[in-house]
Amino acid sequence: MAGRRLHEFVRALRGAGVRVSPVEAEEAFRAAALVGYGDRDRFRETLALTLVKSQAERPDFDRCFAAFFRFESADPEQDDGSDADHAGQATAAAPDPEALSGPAAELVAQSDTGLEQTLAQAAAEIDFTAMQVITQQGLFARRLLMNMGMGAVDDEILRLDASARPGDGERAEALRDWRGRVRERAMAHVRRQYDLHGRAHGRALREHSMQAAPFRELREFQQVQMLVRRMARRLARSHQRRQKKARRGALDARRTLAASLRYNAVPVQLHWRQRRRTRAKVLVVCDVSSSVRDAARFLLQFLYAMTDVLPRVRSFAFAARFDEVTDDFERYPPDVAVGRILDRVSGSGTDYGTMFKELEAACRGEIDRQTTLIILGDARNNDLPAGERHLADIARRARQVFWLNPEPPSRWNSGDAIMARYLPYCRAARRCGSLNDLRRFTDELLRNLNG
Amino acid sequence: MKTRIDSVDDVTQSFARQGYICDARTALAVYLAAQLHKPVLVEGPPGVGKTELAKAAAAFLEAPLIRLQCYEGLDESRALYEWKYGKQLLYTQLLRDKLSGTLADTDSLEESMRRLGDLGEAFYSDTFLEPRPLLRALRADEPVVLLIDEIDKADQEFEAFLLELLSDFQISIPELGTVRARHQPLVFLTSNDQRELSDALKRRCLHLYIPYPDATLERRILAERVPELDDQLRDQLVDFIQHLREQDMKKLPAVSETLDWARALVLLHADSLEPELVEQTLTLVLKNEQDAELARELLPHWFRARRAR
Repeated sequence: MAGRRLHEFVRALRGAGVRVSPVEAEEAFRAAALVGYGDRDRFRETLALTLVKSQAERPDFDRCFAAFFRFESADPEQDDGSDADHAGQATAAAPDPEALSGPAAELVAQSDTGLEQTLAQAAAEIDFTAMQVITQQGLFARRLLMNMGMGAVDDEILRLDASARPGDGERAEALRDWRGRVRERAMAHVRRQYDLHGRAHGRALREHSMQAAPFRELREFQQVQMLVRRMARRLARSHQRRQKKARRGALDARRTLAASLRYNAVPVQLHWRQRRRTRAKVLVVCDVSSSVRDAARFLLQFLYAMTDVLPRVRSFAFAARFDEVTDDFERYPPDVAVGRILDRVSGSGTDYGTMFKELEAACRGEIDRQTTLIILGDARNNDLPAGERHLADIARRARQVFWLNPEPPSRWNSGDAIMARYLPYCRAARRCGSLNDLRRFTDELLRNLNG
Repeated sequence: MKTRIDSVDDVTQSFARQGYICDARTALAVYLAAQLHKPVLVEGPPGVGKTELAKAAAAFLEAPLIRLQCYEGLDESRALYEWKYGKQLLYTQLLRDKLSGTLADTDSLEESMRRLGDLGEAFYSDTFLEPRPLLRALRADEPVVLLIDEIDKADQEFEAFLLELLSDFQISIPELGTVRARHQPLVFLTSNDQRELSDALKRRCLHLYIPYPDATLERRILAERVPELDDQLRDQLVDFIQHLREQDMKKLPAVSETLDWARALVLLHADSLEPELVEQTLTLVLKNEQDAELARELLPHWFRARRAR
């Protein structure tokens, strides 16, 4: 029993976003068995020590623990108000069991805590982790009531309704009332279980769709910030390892010979040339006019989350005006940064030609063979001069230019969009309309820079 | 090494006897680590006693402590073992005559090679092996406490290399074969969160986060470590430090700084915190000039608020 409850807890924990491997779960069970379940605080800390592997996950764990183990809590004070209400009424108005027959009488005769126990026992036999959508709650509540033996009560009500004995009609009414309250209680329990397990499933689904959703629609999801951070971190981690591995180069003959002199010219220690880490510089220019703004925010957030593997990023934003925004993103959380940037540069009428000219002026000395330029924009130039000459100049001096466009390729040259004019100077142009696109691009970029 | 640990309270009491005051969570972690034979990854801000914890645990278990300090570029030859090249070379030089004697009566090249081959074993034996901390911990005659300090400073590769050690407590040396731990060491890893550790490493460890102590715990620590300090002054001091920790500072004062400060105040025969005194000794607590500046600005407010209470 305890083992199964713990398994369910681990599943709920995974649902809350804490990663727990089977080995860790096993470890936690052993630890819990060792420490015992008597002391709630100690029990909680034991699980935390074995299951939570970073301080950032601790609040999620605490929330999950509180929600999950409240049912077991012997102290009714810890239940919140609504449940306490049901508890108070259930016994107060329970019909007189004397007049009832069989198993129904037994059930009704139970004290309030007894009933709670029956409910808990019945609940333990049901696998609530199978509950995936909100509409299944009714079904599970019904199963729970049947497990409690409430079928006998249903029969009893039918019997009383049919009986002609005086007073049976009122008894049936009272019993119906009581049944309604027990049902509410069961529903409350099922709802809590759904919060723990069903939500988890929903969350996985939601994250999946978040990654594929167009940026514009992402605003409707609340946890998107967290997801972006997590995706960026995972990506950064995988590249951190690659970078180190790729660094060992050929044998350094000069140092090996020099060192061998100590050992009578025997090359005891071999020295390897370490490949110089490329001092990659990244310049990002983002169109922040209303059509592209969302994509720009996520791109910058992604790049700045990767300072471990991508040390030097300078970023610029433009809409009506053009300005450097490196500081804003380094110093403020993304939401604030975006707000500040928009205050400075927003307006209508993006002009790519002028932007390239200003970019060239702003980083004249800085663009060299180490520089990667990333442009994010829809290339809608409002029928102004394209100014591709300036982009050509930059591209000639830089290592490479990438263009990210939030629109599908079929629309790159429709209306006032003029991607075709800029494309010859870009190493590649990619569609960047969702988090998945963004991750794919960043992965490619890092491989390219560190490889 | 002590083989029986009765309960978590056993740990707490022993730690208290040694003067290491900790919260229940920390004692629980040591207890579980010893019972489940799992390494403990200890994280937390600098100066909260992560390294001290390993020392206290070693004293509690009556086991020797072997410490490996990590740094960038730490490799297997510094952490695990190294061949004593110099000694090997010296021996071959000194034994040159003997060697040519051994090889003198061989007729063919193969024969000489074979004899040399037999000798090779002698040169890669325990005599020429320089054990570094990890190997020492594995080959120790009694169980030991192994402290791998500041693992976040070591490179990723080293972390990957540690995985084998932490899960199986064995290590392979090409020339000697697999070395299995005679007694499983109790391993503590500490990290200041300079870089994120890999999931694989975290999965193998219990995770303990030691935060800055709250006021009650800090008072207990002070009373234990600096008993000469006047009670009232202790309360004032802890109050002030706790107040500082709520500020937005570059480097928050840790327990070690509190202790330094308390000792200094004892030496100066102070019996209450006075503005001038704090002003003069503030550098013991705050190591950053900007932080000290901020604290000086806060000082009058704090004294006023305190007097009002």
